[in-house]
Amino acid sequence: MPSAAALRIQIESALEHRYPAALTPLERTIRETAPTCIPQVDALLNGGLPVGVISEITGPESSGRTSLALACLAGHTAGGRVCARVDACDAFDAESAAASGVRLRQLLWVRCRSALPTAKPSSCLDQALCATDLLLQAGGFAALVLGQDAFAQSSAAVVLECAPLAALAASQTVLDGYNYQVRSGRQRFTPSINGPRKPPASTWSATSAWEREKSA
Amino acid sequence: MKQELYACVHAAEFPAQALLRLRTELESEPVAILEGRPPLETVCSLNRLAHLKGAVHGMTRLEAEDIAGLRLLARSEESEDTARAAFLECAAHFSPRMEDASYGTACACLLDIAGTERLFGPPETLAERLRASLAAAGFRSSIAIGANFHTARLKAAATRGITVIPRKQEATALSKLPLAVLRLSEDHAETFAIWGIQTLGELAALPEVDLIARLGPQAAEWRSLALGSLPHTFQPIQAEFSLKEFCDFAPPIDQTESLLFVAARMIDCLIARAAARAFSLALLVIHMELEGGRVYRRVIRPALPTTDRKFLLKLLQLEIAAYPPQAAILLLRITADPGQSSKVQLGLFAPQTPEPSRLDVTIARLKAIAGEDRVGSPVLEDSHRPGSFHMESFAVAAPPTQDPPRMALRRFRPPLPVRVELRDLKPVAFRDNERRFKVSAAYGPWKTSGCWWSADGWTAEEWDVLAETATGSSVACLLVRNHRPSAHNRSVWQLEAFYD
Repeated sequence: MPSAAALRIQIESALEHRYPAALTPLERTIRETAPTCIPQVDALLNGGLPVGVISEITGPESSGRTSLALACLAGHTAGGRVCARVDACDAFDAESAAASGVRLRQLLWVRCRSALPTAKPSSCLDQALCATDLLLQAGGFAALVLGQDAFAQSSAAVVLECAPLAALAASQTVLDGYNYQVRSGRQRFTPSINGPRKPPASTWSATSAWEREKSA
Repeated sequence: MKQELYACVHAAEFPAQALLRLRTELESEPVAILEGRPPLETVCSLNRLAHLKGAVHGMTRLEAEDIAGLRLLARSEESEDTARAAFLECAAHFSPRMEDASYGTACACLLDIAGTERLFGPPETLAERLRASLAAAGFRSSIAIGANFHTARLKAAATRGITVIPRKQEATALSKLPLAVLRLSEDHAETFAIWGIQTLGELAALPEVDLIARLGPQAAEWRSLALGSLPHTFQPIQAEFSLKEFCDFAPPIDQTESLLFVAARMIDCLIARAAARAFSLALLVIHMELEGGRVYRRVIRPALPTTDRKFLLKLLQLEIAAYPPQAAILLLRITADPGQSSKVQLGLFAPQTPEPSRLDVTIARLKAIAGEDRVGSPVLEDSHRPGSFHMESFAVAAPPTQDPPRMALRRFRPPLPVRVELRDLKPVAFRDNERRFKVSAAYGPWKTSGCWWSADGWTAEEWDVLAETATGSSVACLLVRNHRPSAHNRSVWQLEAFYD
């Protein structure tokens, strides 16, 4: 009588053309994640953004990209870690970062520009990528946010597609906040499920700084 | 009774050594140092190769220029001062009691090394270590050790290498030295030459009384010197601890590689001197004088005091790459501030942060890419101006543990009406029904208003006031000046609260 192992090999070889390694469980690596400090997004990402890989946050204007990135930075700096922001567009607003809870003292901000009088002319993106490379080699930064309008193609492990929904309408006099939608465009470390499936999405909202002060 | 023992360290041709110790590329070249006012310059110092080429002291510039391949440099007093300080400091590591015995173009010092055997070993070992230490700092020296101060001094000046003079053998050790080491006047030297006396041994053999009768009382001192028995009262000096290196470039250099080559040697020397006192380098000030009278000055401040040569040199290289000198360099001066060596206690659960020294280099590179003022931490300014912030240098700070306690208010409900004396629209004193307060400082006014469209609108000025009572006790309080539109713009002062 054939043993269980022999039977398994026999079945797997018979089904190999349709299901490779049908009876062998896939190896799973539990990756460390860093919470984004937005519960809805963390739930979407199964805990947060994976550590040690590139995560990409994309979307049009007012889609919550910057708020999401600042929320991540706020979480990291609140824990005593240091972060870096490489700004290819010089679009970082220190005031709203502080209002979001980012401890600016623990943030290294690199503002790229198109040309220096003492250096060879190079584009902002070249400078930003060069600076990012240097910072990654230096090590020790809990998170590194590279701000750039758009990349043609990325090799990010996680892609979050952001979209605006609507403004919060609690008050008629001031802007209270905004509702956003975030969709998981790519998650390389999540086990794939066969068959077509709509990418998971979630909604979240961000309140204005003055609204936060008022509620505090 | 403690037996005396002295070590004399003698660096001959010091003007040449001072200029060449940082310019290792000139070691293999014959070099002569000129002093005096052009065109009447004469050779005052030279290295061994120049001596082999036929150069001698006192040669004029024209004569020196006739010697093929001889490099002529101008004497630099600042180089010599810096080198002398380094020389004495290096020697001072072996004994705290030191006397300067420099003369002419030689730099010499005598160390009282009695009782140092247990620390440095026998005198021969101490001499070898001392000579090696000086060689590492760029000095060629000769060392003589003896029980008599002057014997050690004369022997070190007249011989090369290391000489240890046994006790009571001083006269023998000096016997073959020429009379010139006594630095006699021309008349006396001629007299001795006529007598056929050429060495100290021959001088020592002369009868003392007859010698004094012919040449005077100073002859007794010369004879005692020759016998190695002249006593000396030690006059110790304190070697100054200053981390400074100087290099004079002649001709001026304009290549960064050449500059960094010399700067690396200077940083090496500074690190060695700081490390000998258990210090690190906390700050480097780079000062250059350029052609055309311009001055170049940069400050390199590592995040933590360090003795890492490569790291400091990299910072210097990046600084010079970011801010290159705009003309050829005439001289380079590097001064350093000592700092305590960094000791960082890392916590087991503390978050990982960038390594400070590596971060310094990374930030310097980022500044080279993006610009000096475009890398750092943003700091918001105390202003309502939109987008007001400034950049400060980034440093890994310890995470704040707890917010400090805040001042709290203890309010009066209802507020106490007070009478306020004003000067230049600022309160200088106020009184309530019971006490009078003299204002020592007033901060304000902080103007607020609201609900102006309704009956309960308000307009007020708030003043934070530090005041003193008649008894001398000080208080901090909040004074409010309420404007009442309904009362014909009359204002009322009230004591709202004490900071308690």
